[in-house]
Amino acid sequence: MGLRYPRTSIERTEEGTVIDGRSYDAIVIGGGHNGLVTAAYLGRAGRKVLVLERRHILGGATVTEEVFPGFKFTVCSYVCSLLRPEIIRDLDLPSHGYQIIPVESTFSPLPDGRYLYRGGDSEENRREISKFSKRDAEMYPRFGQLMVKVARLVGPQLAMTPPDLDSMSPGNLRKLLGLRGHFLGADEETLATFARLMTMSSADYLDEWFETDVLKGTMSASGIIGTFLGPRSPGTAYVLIHHYMGEVDGAFRAWGFVRGGMGMVSESIAAAARSYGVETRTGAEVRRILTRDGRATGVELANGERIPSRVVASSADPKRTFLGMVERSDLPQDFVRGIEAYRTEGSSAKVNLAVKEPPNFTALPGAGEHLRGAVSISPSVDYIEKAYDDAKHGDFSKRPYLDVMVPSMLDPSMAPPGKHIMSIFVQYAPFHLRRGDWDDRREELGDTVVDTLAEYAPNLPKAILHRQVVTPLDLDREFGLTGGNIFQGELWPHQLFFMRPVPGWAQYRSPIKGLYICGSGAHPGGGVMGAPGANAAREIQKDMAVRRV
Amino acid sequence: MPKAYDVVVVGGGHNGLVASAYLARAGRRVLVLERRSLVGGAAVTEEGPPGFKIDTAANLCGLLRPEIQRDLNLAGLGLQFVPFDPVVAAPSEDGRVIRLWRDPRRSAKEIAALSTHDAEAYPRFGAFLVQLAAATDRLATMTPPSVDAVSLGDQFFLLRQALRVRKLGKAALTRAIRMVPMPLEDFLGEWFETDHLKAVLAMDALLGVFRGPKSPYTSFGLLHAYAGVANGGWSFVRGGMGALTNALANAAKAAGAVIRTGADVRRILTADGRVTGVELADGGTIAAAVVASNADPKRTFLGLVDPFDLDPAFRLAIRNYESEGMLSKVNLALDRLPEVPGADGASPAHLRITPSLEHLERAYDDAKYGRVSAKPVLDILIPSVVDPSLAPPGKHVASIVVQYTPHDLRGGSWDKLRDKLGDAVVGILDAAVPGFERAVVHREVLTPVDLETRFGLTGGHPYHGEMGPNQQLVLRPVPGWARYRTPIAGLYLCGSGAHPGGGVSGAPGYNAAREILRDLAGRHA
Repeated sequence: MGLRYPRTSIERTEEGTVIDGRSYDAIVIGGGHNGLVTAAYLGRAGRKVLVLERRHILGGATVTEEVFPGFKFTVCSYVCSLLRPEIIRDLDLPSHGYQIIPVESTFSPLPDGRYLYRGGDSEENRREISKFSKRDAEMYPRFGQLMVKVARLVGPQLAMTPPDLDSMSPGNLRKLLGLRGHFLGADEETLATFARLMTMSSADYLDEWFETDVLKGTMSASGIIGTFLGPRSPGTAYVLIHHYMGEVDGAFRAWGFVRGGMGMVSESIAAAARSYGVETRTGAEVRRILTRDGRATGVELANGERIPSRVVASSADPKRTFLGMVERSDLPQDFVRGIEAYRTEGSSAKVNLAVKEPPNFTALPGAGEHLRGAVSISPSVDYIEKAYDDAKHGDFSKRPYLDVMVPSMLDPSMAPPGKHIMSIFVQYAPFHLRRGDWDDRREELGDTVVDTLAEYAPNLPKAILHRQVVTPLDLDREFGLTGGNIFQGELWPHQLFFMRPVPGWAQYRSPIKGLYICGSGAHPGGGVMGAPGANAAREIQKDMAVRRV
Repeated sequence: MPKAYDVVVVGGGHNGLVASAYLARAGRRVLVLERRSLVGGAAVTEEGPPGFKIDTAANLCGLLRPEIQRDLNLAGLGLQFVPFDPVVAAPSEDGRVIRLWRDPRRSAKEIAALSTHDAEAYPRFGAFLVQLAAATDRLATMTPPSVDAVSLGDQFFLLRQALRVRKLGKAALTRAIRMVPMPLEDFLGEWFETDHLKAVLAMDALLGVFRGPKSPYTSFGLLHAYAGVANGGWSFVRGGMGALTNALANAAKAAGAVIRTGADVRRILTADGRVTGVELADGGTIAAAVVASNADPKRTFLGLVDPFDLDPAFRLAIRNYESEGMLSKVNLALDRLPEVPGADGASPAHLRITPSLEHLERAYDDAKYGRVSAKPVLDILIPSVVDPSLAPPGKHVASIVVQYTPHDLRGGSWDKLRDKLGDAVVGILDAAVPGFERAVVHREVLTPVDLETRFGLTGGHPYHGEMGPNQQLVLRPVPGWARYRTPIAGLYLCGSGAHPGGGVSGAPGYNAAREILRDLAGRHA
């Protein structure tokens, strides 16, 4: 059984007709949220832009699809917090239908019937955490304050084009000196905390602050989402600050759900892009990026159609772009080796459910406030670490970490009246299985997830009407994410900032003149943030202005 | 009234001895207080059964700073290194042996039997790491900069070090930067395809570290090993590691330092936030305006200093300092040396039993959850192969590092597991080298708890604390206090808990002495 989708079949005609189309300033490969952001910014600057999307629907991994009649699934990504506020402002997304519903709570049920609930109210949090530990309740706000300080140190780097460590150009040196000044200007505690977060495991770091297992488990889980590491792996502490970087309606931290599902993020950006004259085509699979004399000249579609363009911006991941769409002989060997070594093995899956009633948790029965936020199955650090152990040795977790949402509680239009949808993010599910393959084991994973959740909400199995299991293989095949990595490549330190995707090529440009990358495989990486797309558009504009391309 | 001292050094480990030698040479009156009956700390040679001399803790030397060897004329005091070749011989599960030699080309020839790709890569791999270790060598003798206000001098120094790395070429620079956060499995995977070879090389970086090959930030541990290669190669010390620390002690004494053994410091005395001296376990006190502690940070600040003398935030940071060890030592006396299969009849002085990366990772998994690994990883040194003075004629000593045996057990106690571990280790060895078990005439098992008790290493950690990047440079031992000074005026750290950390380098002692002298000259102390 395959992934359940109304499939659009894409035919490959032999030669196709070369349609000498109108001349575009830019073609954007892939209509994911980043590709759309790039297109919108270029369109806004007066460029003539075409977006080509392989699937029948725009959005990439940021989509809402009616997989089963009446049930709208946010198939892949499921929460929003990192979308850059300047993008929301610049593209005036609210006027195009972008509306955030704050999601402030996390509910972590325990097998023994207790639960931890954290919401937006600090007094309530203190009370709830005190049920486990008075000391932790006291430390919790202090922890948040420190994280915010570090987030402010790192935040500005997200919207910046990374410097090249080895270029002596004046602009680059200015950038390096600016960075030096920015960091030297911070106080010692913030700097030391930043250095420690970059290098410590979330488990070790949280151990310094807290003693409650479920609190540490749930917080450390945020450090491993989408990455093939466990909470005891050094470097995972860094992601803790990302949770304090989200700016929903100006508020530092907090998550949000988008009315209409994550697809509305893409749709609103697409609408903004169209308002600037950008054209979008779905069902248009790019087979090849055309080059002449080391310059990109356009693209060739799977049906043979060739579309010329002054520049090409690929929001496909670096492996797909450079190893799949470009002739290797057009690229320096070092670069190819770097892209080959770029880590993209995915570690997560999604299970989407259509249910006739919401899950009823033993620890907190009923469909209360706790179902309007995230439900986190993360009873302890060890629980998640053991889930990771299974995966690093080549199997999916026997008892996975689950991040569950019931979006229809926030937006009833997502499901038929009285019914609900559930979005379950699953970790760990490695792309490479030691035993069997994902086509054979897809439903086995679905069963494991349902069984796991049923230990906390026993009504769940009987409430299920439909189930969609999205394995890493499906993310690769259907959504074009190489290795099924939801961030288009691991967010490990050696694949970040001036090393993303490979050292020397972190400025959105590539060895082929006129070919850019604008997806999560570029700085600052994955998540529904839009920053790679916006940064890439800025660099493309710069090059066009000086007629470098 | 005892003679007045300028500086009391707590602990006569190699770093304490280096510090005292330099301080005494500068004309300071120095007293070294060592709890045990012999100096050397964790670099000692102790008598097993009559005639057998065993390096009970540290067993290999490669990092000892050339400045120290020169300044203190250690060769003149009898220090002699004994090299050995092959550098390591690693039996595999299928009965083959990977041997690596001092000459990388010779190693490549042997590796070619496993993989021509790896044989081609191996010399380049070694050359890259040796170059990088050499280029970053000066960081070891620097006092880490103050983060609060990085002086222009420090900025200039650091920039120069960066340019030294840059000189290796752009490709090497890129590789060096990427290497720091990479997991060993990935880094080695970019060079080699033979799993067993990767596991053998991974151990160079993992020895003494509470991590596995899949853990990020493990690759740069290779620099530690290759710093030794760049420094002339890893070798034994003639007469055992104790001969090295004895030479250091003689250098200190020659310069005028006084060394007292059997002198257990119970407390570091202070008045008004300043050091005034130390109090011994027997109740005696010794006055000094400067105390340099060679004990690890936890022992020093949580054990020897009055809690009221320290800011709670500092104490918390010290408590959070990661210092859980997971090494055990098994020391053996052997009445003969069984032949190592596949070693052409020659007896390698260094064996390493680590069959695969997965084996390593699973052993780490055990340790992570507070269990003694059922299949620990072994690093076996048999120095008597090249230094017959260590054992009666025809007989041998083996000093075995056993990795992934955590100090903090989640169930059970080390007292009950000690012998079991010894049996397991000898069993693993016997499987790789048939006849080994019958050759053992004496066995001593030192669990992490034993290492803690005997050598005063908190958590049994061989390096006075983890060597990950979160406890390196400006962060060692804790942010804000990486410059050998402490929140108590006149109290300094001079052991492996300070930059650049563990290993028998002498660098922390060397650097601390420099800072103490600087303060004494400027009367800050």
